Amino acid sequence: MFPTPRLPACPNARIPAKRHETLTGTCPYDPPEAIVDHRHLTPQEFDLLVDGEEGFGMAPLAGHIEECVTCRTELEAQQRLVGALDKMPHFTPSPLFAYRVMRQVQVFEPWHVTAVNSIQRFVPRSRPARVLAAGVAGIVATTLTLGTIWLASRLDAVAFLVTLAAERMRALGSQAVSGFVSSALGQNGLAVSSDTRIALAATGFLAAVAISAFGLRAIAAASRRRRM
Amino acid sequence: MPEPRTLDLQNLPDADVVLLAQRGREDAFRELVRRYERPIFSLIYRMVRDRETSEDLAQDTFIKVLNHIDRYSPEFRLSSWLFKIANNVAIDYLRKRQISTISIDGSPHAASAAEVEATSFDVRAPQENALEELEARELGGAIERAIAALRPEYRSCIMLRHVEGRSYEEIAATLDLPLGTVKTYIHRARHQLREALGGERE
Repeated sequence: MFPTPRLPACPNARIPAKRHETLTGTCPYDPPEAIVDHRHLTPQEFDLLVDGEEGFGMAPLAGHIEECVTCRTELEAQQRLVGALDKMPHFTPSPLFAYRVMRQVQVFEPWHVTAVNSIQRFVPRSRPARVLAAGVAGIVATTLTLGTIWLASRLDAVAFLVTLAAERMRALGSQAVSGFVSSALGQNGLAVSSDTRIALAATGFLAAVAISAFGLRAIAAASRRRRM
Repeated sequence: MPEPRTLDLQNLPDADVVLLAQRGREDAFRELVRRYERPIFSLIYRMVRDRETSEDLAQDTFIKVLNHIDRYSPEFRLSSWLFKIANNVAIDYLRKRQISTISIDGSPHAASAAEVEATSFDVRAPQENALEELEARELGGAIERAIAALRPEYRSCIMLRHVEGRSYEEIAATLDLPLGTVKTYIHRARHQLREALGGERE
């Protein structure tokens, strides 16, 4: 007769036992007023009520609670426990807790943020100054664009000038390196370094070291400034 | 535009504060610690029941999370990540130190029914009555003692559910447990708490 025959009938229900709407479906023979479940609630159903669940299937449970003193008493006891649990306070750690945590946290500013911030420092704050800076930047960009187009239309002349400048720079660089090597290592060292490939490799290595050192220093300085 | 230095971090949601932390803002890190130091410390404190150890473990939790803040994915809640790490740190500590938490269900390590029986105890007094009125302070103390007697897994579920107000789904995701297991743990924990509190009131 009942949808859950293993459960005992509720002795405190005021409505007599009969076919009615169940948790798993609606009996087609139910009279419309019979929405109350005439059996004691299961532990899972108590959990649903205690957790304040709403929606499909809850109305019969609420209806049963209205009718059944035993289940209502049980629900109230569970709600008191949950109410007391909900009121449990947070504990506070010692005042130095945050300091001790921050002492061991590695705050690191990513390189792209540093780069963007470094550029943004040059952007004027006032609106007229920003408009002026934008105008100047526009003129410069236009000039450079026109210049690039003009140079592109005369590639042979550009190639000649670049080759000439490169030759000149190489001669100057070679002269400077030879002077440095001869003063530091003497004539023997100069003879070894006269090989162009060795000279170029040494120069490139020194340049890379210098650029790396300056770059890392700039990033570290920017990060320090940011943290302060 | 760069974010203003005087930005009121307290009014920003977690995801925005994390974003600032990922950009290297130290005050954003401080804000995250300020927001979660009490919840994280409370969870761990109720797990290990020792203030000094709890502070150390909470500190470890924050350091693990904040030093890997660049790995944070905004599709998850930061608090869930923090609670997950905190719970793991506390459970690891309890396992390492072999702290014998008293379970009224018997030892969680019991291999047989006889061992469970041997390690369990009944907290219900023979003359248990239904008196419900206790001073809030006493009830608080009784609840803390009852929670201390729960298994660690039950304890963390109860803490997340009732102290932190998390849904069952969030607890399942935080603790890497199936949803059904979380519901079972919380149901059993409440049942044990009621029994234990019944004993306390005697």
